[in-house]
Amino acid sequence: MKLLQNKVAELFENGTINLMIGFKEALTKQPVPCFIEKASEIEQLIYTKDCKNNLSVYLHKPEVKQAGKIGILANIATLRALVQLTSENQFWDIEKTVLTVNDKEEVIVFSDMEEVEAYVQANFPEFSEEDLKLLDYLESLSREDRWKYWTEQFSACIKCYACRAVCPMCYCPQCTVECNQPQWIKTSAQTTGNLEWHIMRAMHLAGRCINCGECGRICPVGIPVHLLTVKMNQDLFKEFGTKSGFALKGDYALNSFKPDDKEGFIK
Amino acid sequence: MSEFEPKIVAFVCNWCTYAGADLAGTSRTQYASNVRIVRFPCTGRIDFMLLMKAFENGADGVIVSGCHPNDCHYTSGNFHARRRWIVFRSILDLIGFDTDRITFSWVSAAEGKKWANLVDEVTDKIKAKGPFTDLDKLDGVQLKELYDEAITK
Repeated sequence: MKLLQNKVAELFENGTINLMIGFKEALTKQPVPCFIEKASEIEQLIYTKDCKNNLSVYLHKPEVKQAGKIGILANIATLRALVQLTSENQFWDIEKTVLTVNDKEEVIVFSDMEEVEAYVQANFPEFSEEDLKLLDYLESLSREDRWKYWTEQFSACIKCYACRAVCPMCYCPQCTVECNQPQWIKTSAQTTGNLEWHIMRAMHLAGRCINCGECGRICPVGIPVHLLTVKMNQDLFKEFGTKSGFALKGDYALNSFKPDDKEGFIK
Repeated sequence: MSEFEPKIVAFVCNWCTYAGADLAGTSRTQYASNVRIVRFPCTGRIDFMLLMKAFENGADGVIVSGCHPNDCHYTSGNFHARRRWIVFRSILDLIGFDTDRITFSWVSAAEGKKWANLVDEVTDKIKAKGPFTDLDKLDGVQLKELYDEAITK
């Protein structure tokens, strides 16, 4: 912990950063995000295995961008998000310094995104076993039962859009769900509209979702929405061999094609 | 009661399938009249939300059709569309949506006969399946029932 704090203090001192996004202790077990603007506040900065939030979502916020030079303490999911977002040219207007703490509790300060890319590729996260188990279970059900399961889940959705707010890949200034000419998605929290919303969200994240699972974790009514994107990521890798948040260069899965892509359903 | 006549919405591309359907018409090929054709510039333009909206607004089946691979007027629109459909189908499948009601096809401008057969086939398939009510059943208040009730009063 001291090591991390010293490193960040150093960065503040030599003017590399003037805002640090990291974690601080909370009343509950899981640490919460914190914003450090001066060196005197550094003592609250911590990093543990329970630091799960994907902090890269804050880098889209204008009030954060204002700081100009931003340090970000990243877990592996956040690093992956940073790689994906860089490949989508999202960080042209800020200078960021990326820090992480590896398994041996060493603090790494990356000098550029190429280093982050190499680190991500060396430590590429697998799908969580819990998610795979749930998916296997769902896939073992009949179609009607799956439909029943998901429509029951979606009927609980209150359309708070927390899944969108927490997602680092959902940065469009205007989302299709807010478009009212035409009204693609019903605004009231009815099951049909909820279903359409979740399908649309998953489709717009196809090939871009970096599988941090924040959407499922944040859902106030406990819908496992992240399973849709987990399944999608699995399929994209199986069908096209693409991985999101893996490389700084290159197209994302739905932005590119191969003439010999295989499918078995087009007549 | 008369036989169930399904409503089928076909999203087709301007350059191949629409011309194919046109050929079926000009060569006086008889096929099921259940299909409503919506013409698009390219299959790449056919957003998945349009399919959802078709079902929401009462379609019983949907056909999506465009140029064969390598025949796209815009070179690569159908290749992009193909990838999108693969992902879209897998998500619908996970959710348990009845993917048999969506038929994807390649029909070229010369395949009037194939188009007529496709529409006949899909119509028969959807007739056997019956009306699509999965979405109607979801929302507690069924507007159609309320409407029918109000009309009869």
